[in-house]
Amino acid sequence: MGEVEKTFISGLKEELVEEKVIDESQLDPNFAKEIKKYGGKDVMTCLQCGNCTGVCPISLKIDYKTRSIIKYCQFGLRTYTLGTRWVCATCYRCYEHCPADINPAEVMIALRHIAVREGVIPPFIKVAATNLVRYGQSVKPDEEINKIRKELGLGDIHTFSPDFKKVLREISVLIHASKYDKLIGIEDEVMV
Amino acid sequence: MGSPEPLKKDPVTSTPPATGTETTTPRIGVFVCHCGSNIAGVVDCPRVTEVASKMPGVVVARDNKYTCSDLGQDEIVKAIVEAKVDRVVIASCSPRMHEPTFRACIQRAGLNPYVLHMVNIREQCSWVHNQEKQRATEKAIDLVRMGVSKAARLIPLEAREVPVEPKALIVGGGVAGIQAALDLGNMGFKVYLVESKPSIGGVMAQLDKTFPTGDCAICILAPKMVELARHPNVTLLSYSEVEEVKGYIGNYEVKVRRKSRYVHEDKCVGCGVCAEVCPVKVDNEFDMGFGKRKAIYVPFPQAVPLKYTIDKENCLHFKTGKCLLCVKECTNKAIDHKMEDEVLDLKVGTIIVATGFQTYVPMKKGVYKYWEYENVITALELERLLNASGPTGGHLIRPSDQKTPRRVAFIQCVGSRNKKIDRNYCSRVCCMYAIKNAQIIKEHEPGTEIAVYYNDIRAFGKGFEELYHRVREEFGVEFIRGRPAKLSENRETKSIMIRAEETLMSKITEREFDLIVLSVGLLPSEGSKRIGKTLGLSLSSDGFFAEAHPKLRPVDTATDGVFLAGCAQSPKDIPDSVAQAKAAASSAAAIMFSGKVKIEPLTVEVDESLCVGCGLCVEQCPYGAPELIQNEEGRTRARIIEALCHGCGTCAASCPQNAITAKQFTDEQICSELTAALSQNGQAKTAGKKAEEGV
Repeated sequence: MGEVEKTFISGLKEELVEEKVIDESQLDPNFAKEIKKYGGKDVMTCLQCGNCTGVCPISLKIDYKTRSIIKYCQFGLRTYTLGTRWVCATCYRCYEHCPADINPAEVMIALRHIAVREGVIPPFIKVAATNLVRYGQSVKPDEEINKIRKELGLGDIHTFSPDFKKVLREISVLIHASKYDKLIGIEDEVMV
Repeated sequence: MGSPEPLKKDPVTSTPPATGTETTTPRIGVFVCHCGSNIAGVVDCPRVTEVASKMPGVVVARDNKYTCSDLGQDEIVKAIVEAKVDRVVIASCSPRMHEPTFRACIQRAGLNPYVLHMVNIREQCSWVHNQEKQRATEKAIDLVRMGVSKAARLIPLEAREVPVEPKALIVGGGVAGIQAALDLGNMGFKVYLVESKPSIGGVMAQLDKTFPTGDCAICILAPKMVELARHPNVTLLSYSEVEEVKGYIGNYEVKVRRKSRYVHEDKCVGCGVCAEVCPVKVDNEFDMGFGKRKAIYVPFPQAVPLKYTIDKENCLHFKTGKCLLCVKECTNKAIDHKMEDEVLDLKVGTIIVATGFQTYVPMKKGVYKYWEYENVITALELERLLNASGPTGGHLIRPSDQKTPRRVAFIQCVGSRNKKIDRNYCSRVCCMYAIKNAQIIKEHEPGTEIAVYYNDIRAFGKGFEELYHRVREEFGVEFIRGRPAKLSENRETKSIMIRAEETLMSKITEREFDLIVLSVGLLPSEGSKRIGKTLGLSLSSDGFFAEAHPKLRPVDTATDGVFLAGCAQSPKDIPDSVAQAKAAASSAAAIMFSGKVKIEPLTVEVDESLCVGCGLCVEQCPYGAPELIQNEEGRTRARIIEALCHGCGTCAASCPQNAITAKQFTDEQICSELTAALSQNGQAKTAGKKAEEGV
């Protein structure tokens, strides 16, 4: 497994991919509707031409096939995409090229919504959310970043300035009010 | 055009006599159709019938499983006779479907065919409300109530007959137009074939071979072209455009502009001496820009008519006023730079539209880099490169270095099946022409490596699947299921790398090819828009002309006497185009053989005492039916040319004086329908609601 794959989908490898026969019990005909509910377009219109995979910058790095994920969605094989749905960078190139006018990137986002609501949350999401609460951004700021900023002639990162406390508080309030903390499981971090 | 006599105020039918008149109380019969489960699956038909039987004026109400069947029709006839019915309401499908059927049916029972009112409880009720059965039934009852109310006020009308000119106009000289012209000519009708290009032949003349049999396209087409040109009944008007069409079925008046060739057709013998001396060389559009032609030219050697044409834009004489080398050389004195366009007036009874198609032009900034990479060509360009009489004499070369390509890729569905560019339809021929061309390349150069990038292969016609098999088995052509995502050119070799997901392997592939052929889709031809507007033809969602009924009237249009043939109607291959041309010719002949045609009496009439001659109706009418005349008292009044009127009612709605009445859509009839719609069991619905709300 490559580095990228490890970071993003460790612990979420599709369990069922190895199965030789897919029986009826695994199929969910309502899955496409569910995806629509969470903002994806109708995956049933996909022609399976593979153009999305071909243009995807991620597919060149790891074993990730946009087209296959859409196919699993058509069948309603919910657990088949547990890990891969998180690797999409939402660059929207697939959408630009799709002849069926589906937006695979937004399907991925819808899949993530569904996963989170089902309680399947990869560790890096929790980390990012925690960072957001603590530092006001999803990437943890450190001395390394400050060093680069200095070299570029920029000031210290805003997170460390005392004025930023107020902003952090506002972020916490928002996260709590939208129940995002509960959804992701970071209630302890949020001070309201 | 002979102006028909003005209508009498109250037309009285002669055949058959109307049993109902204004004075007696109408006796209405209501017939509710189940249409199998199409209607009855949603609407409670027996209940609709029961409620209808109690509506004012209704003397008989029946429901039937299939009203349009022989049995169903017999039941209507029986009920009409038994209950002495004089107005008929049939609640079933759209009148577009069966109005003629039921008109004939009640005529058999001795009624005037126009005392029929059809209520649409299928398309406008059961099909659209299939989730709400209870409310659909209520709506059906309301619709029937409206229909009964209108039926009580129906007036018997009489259809008129007009003579038919036994001549046909065919627009477009491709294979469909040629076939239709030959068929009609052979039946003995006078035919005018109008073609906008200098030669007939259409796109088929440009092709190399035809699928699935591999016949040389021009070899099978040229004899037909020659036969047409020599046919005594056919007048070939090449390099001409239809300017204007007026009139109606059986009596169309057409203006055709004969564009000036600057060469007299009667004098030119096609010797070609003029072209030899002409100093101007330009790209030949017939060869898709690969070959050259002169400014005075015939597009291809087998052109019909074999008459030279001067291309005004490039001719040196038109640019500088000098040269005239061709004039000096022409022994027959056929060339005349001062020649002018000529306008012909034709009178025809029927028109066949065979305006064909044009191929999709890849986008300027598209993924497939047609405009950037020299070695990306379209399929029609490949046809010219493979053609023995083409610019390379049939030797396949690639444009960048004129060398024979060793690796060729076809990319399918370019400009077809793509929602992004609003081309949702399948062009139906690209799969097969790509397969056919792959075979031809393999036959010319067996060592060539060929890959076809496809989404789905559609080999549906006779002998198509066998050809698909053959290219895979005998010729080893590779088929890769996947839409290419990226093309990138090697700057030195000018070869092109294709990246695509081979979806069946779920692997991304990158392969290099020397030549890329885009299998471009078919679009309606540019000129078809104008001719469609002139004839008032409607378009389908794909932009091609709409047929009158997708299954049962595939070559007819909504305009009577106008038929469709070939790719003007939808993308199709040569066998289908020829078959449709023959169908259109036979449909047109059926009208012309009978010599007369019935004109629908659902038209409008003008009350001269109310008309002030403002002329608004003349401006509004899409068919040119109203005209302004001076009456006996010398006052300007509008009059309707009945044969031109389609009964659309636009003039009636716009007349500020209410002087125009649309027959069977009078204010009284429509108001009675509305009143019925707003009432429930004889009481106004709104009043009931107000009572509920305690207002």
